[in-house]
Amino acid sequence: MRGFIISRMVQLVVTMFIVSVVVFFILRLSGDPILVLAPDFFSEEQIEQMRKFWGFDRPLGEQYITFVRKAITGDFGKSYLAKRPAMELIIERLGYSWLLAAASAAIGLTVAIPLGILSALKRNSLLDLIITAMSSLGTAMPNFWLGLMLIIIFSVHLRLLPAFGALEPKAIILPSVTLGVGMAARLSRMTRSAMLEVLNQDYVRTARSKGLMQKTVIMRHALRNALIPIITVFGLQLGWLLGGSVVVESVFSWPGLGRLMIDSISVRDNTVVQAGLLFYALSFILINYAIDVIYIILDPRIKFQ
Amino acid sequence: MKTVRLLILLSLIAVIGALAIAPAAAQDDMSEFVFAHSGPIRPMDPHSHWYGSTHWMLNLYYDCLIWRAADGNGYVPQAAQSWEAIDDTTWRFHLREGATFHNGEPLDAAAVKWNIDRVRHPVGDIPLYQQWDFVQEVVVVDELTVDILTPQPHAFVEWDVSYNGCELIPPAYFEEVGQEEFNRNPVGSGPYKLVELSENDRYVFEAWDDYHSGRPEVDRVVYQVIPEPSAQVAALLAGQIDMMIGVPVPDRERLEATDGISLVNESSNIMHHYYARVDTDSGAFPETFPEYEPATLDINVRKAITHAFDRHLLAEVHGAAEPRLARVCAHYPEGYADKYADPDIIADWYNPELAKEYLAAAGYAEGEGPTLYLDTPVVGRGGGAKEVAEVAAAMLEDVGFTVDLTVRDASAFAVEVQRSGNNRDLMLATLGCSYAGVTRYYQCDWSAVAYNICNEEWDAVADAIQVTIDTDERLALWEQWWEFYIDYSQTITLFEVTNVMALNTADFAYAPRKDGWMTFRDVQVADM
Repeated sequence: MRGFIISRMVQLVVTMFIVSVVVFFILRLSGDPILVLAPDFFSEEQIEQMRKFWGFDRPLGEQYITFVRKAITGDFGKSYLAKRPAMELIIERLGYSWLLAAASAAIGLTVAIPLGILSALKRNSLLDLIITAMSSLGTAMPNFWLGLMLIIIFSVHLRLLPAFGALEPKAIILPSVTLGVGMAARLSRMTRSAMLEVLNQDYVRTARSKGLMQKTVIMRHALRNALIPIITVFGLQLGWLLGGSVVVESVFSWPGLGRLMIDSISVRDNTVVQAGLLFYALSFILINYAIDVIYIILDPRIKFQ
Repeated sequence: MKTVRLLILLSLIAVIGALAIAPAAAQDDMSEFVFAHSGPIRPMDPHSHWYGSTHWMLNLYYDCLIWRAADGNGYVPQAAQSWEAIDDTTWRFHLREGATFHNGEPLDAAAVKWNIDRVRHPVGDIPLYQQWDFVQEVVVVDELTVDILTPQPHAFVEWDVSYNGCELIPPAYFEEVGQEEFNRNPVGSGPYKLVELSENDRYVFEAWDDYHSGRPEVDRVVYQVIPEPSAQVAALLAGQIDMMIGVPVPDRERLEATDGISLVNESSNIMHHYYARVDTDSGAFPETFPEYEPATLDINVRKAITHAFDRHLLAEVHGAAEPRLARVCAHYPEGYADKYADPDIIADWYNPELAKEYLAAAGYAEGEGPTLYLDTPVVGRGGGAKEVAEVAAAMLEDVGFTVDLTVRDASAFAVEVQRSGNNRDLMLATLGCSYAGVTRYYQCDWSAVAYNICNEEWDAVADAIQVTIDTDERLALWEQWWEFYIDYSQTITLFEVTNVMALNTADFAYAPRKDGWMTFRDVQVADM
């Protein structure tokens, strides 16, 4: 266990270092942020003055070293847009993104797993066909389109739910359903195929021949063994959701990290983009580690390595 | 199966938690006007940025000394109850007795001096100083009287002191907490107090009972950032916002047909122009295109371009615009704007035969005009840039030019072309239309990245406009100035963008300002 933790910590540091280099230099290659920040009527002299104020007149290597030195202490610099610390802005938005991620994941899981199991058990039946068709539809539907449709139905026509923002508890319903539908569609397909694979295994046949109830066979013997690929896909989806869903947050004006990133990218607010991307990377890595731990719980044959 | 059950249980807890934790919307009897802002909204320190759409909002929260009248004619008092020109270089402002900032700090002459001195000095991250360099000194005469001294007569003192950066912030509080904390917890001086701030997301203002000119009629004004126009339309139809601007063309009919919603058209104060390259020295052009000689260096080519455009058609293609010939909005009482907004004059200006004659004068045989590189973003401020550019290119080709049109994403256009000065023959410039500042951008001492112009005669007229206090004399100078502008044809004006707004008229009454500012000190509850 100790070896596992140490090796993962080393991996984390190395990955974050590589991500920081890539993010920093790619953002610099994407253009001079001062040219977006400066108004149309600024003279060359004023633009140069702004560049100096924000430190862009210094050599790139020096800028990177300063960035890393400060980032280690949690200082990712000041947002050019908000003129407040970038990490403070990210933390403000994080809660909203996590709420949305949790609600969407909940919808995704509660819908996907029962449907996936049902679909596998009733293989090639009409029910299977319907579930498979619905999951294909859910996967294919662009979430911005689904979001707008839900707004039109539930906000404009029925006036049941808010069309935007996070002003009241029920405001989370439409964005989380929008995200949850896509997640449920992908997870139910994965659940179906994983279940089909294990249902044909000898140990399932043995369990049945022992006279165990169908529910016990499914839940205790089949699903447990099918969970590993499901958890893998779920982990990837969750990592993506925790970083904020850019499109859905924009459609619903949900004040999460995804919208912050879009706003920051559009005005080349590099300090926030850098901090946000590093945060995304960290989220993915930590979720992957959590998934590794869940693997071991699910399947004791997998050992810490 | 414990793991699955645990996962599902956790999921349900998450949903319930989410519903429980999210803040509840305020439910009370207060009148609340919600404006959908497309964002982004910049910080609350009003001196630290020039972005107009943020200053719209800041105008609710901060007083200036004086403010531009909603109909574009003259000025109205804010923190200053009255003002006068003592002589050609001294403007005296009389402040209101007992006026304070929201925290009780006195809004007196010393506070005004501190504010103007802060905004006019190019220190740190205060980018507005150039607008304020007409000030030589701010003198505190007594507690309620402050003089602004200018080094020479300045015709636009009232304009300049009521524009970006004019907002008054409390000096003692700002010095105590610093800029970062001020942006988190600002203190203002206007008719509304800030009660909720979610950065670049939601700003809730409530009427201030102690405002010197009386409590505003609407209790609460909210600026809600909703980036997507389609989401704004849905929110308006759902009754969750009360006003949006820039209504997309496909939604106009539906909104107009909805009970309680009206469409209103007013100038957005944004104009679309094409900048022609008139030099090879400015910006990054000499490094990026060292061998390229733009055809537009020849004044006859530029004149051919300006006569090749059917501005009425271009405005129609845009979908919400009025054709113009000069860089000033039509409603401004100064700047000779009415002449260059005249539909007949503009219609006559479109003259393909004359354009061909100018091309011939430039040495090009008929149908063998030069290649023009035209750069545009997909969507400029005010929209429609790509479609307009495509039609403009067809018009240019019609008189003999070959057009190489490049369309970029807005931020790529800004970085790669516009603000780096990589414009070749023509590029789109979407600009505001203030008459006071316009002369400066064409003077010899103005070094822009996209062009460099120095005509000493034109320069002298610009100087004279800036220092001529007498209105009639100044208008005569404006006429001369615009003749230079039109003749030089570096900024080829196309149209003034109209703002199509949708308003909840069932609950609110609001007359849009002529200057395009979406600020709501004057919004009223509709008569039932």
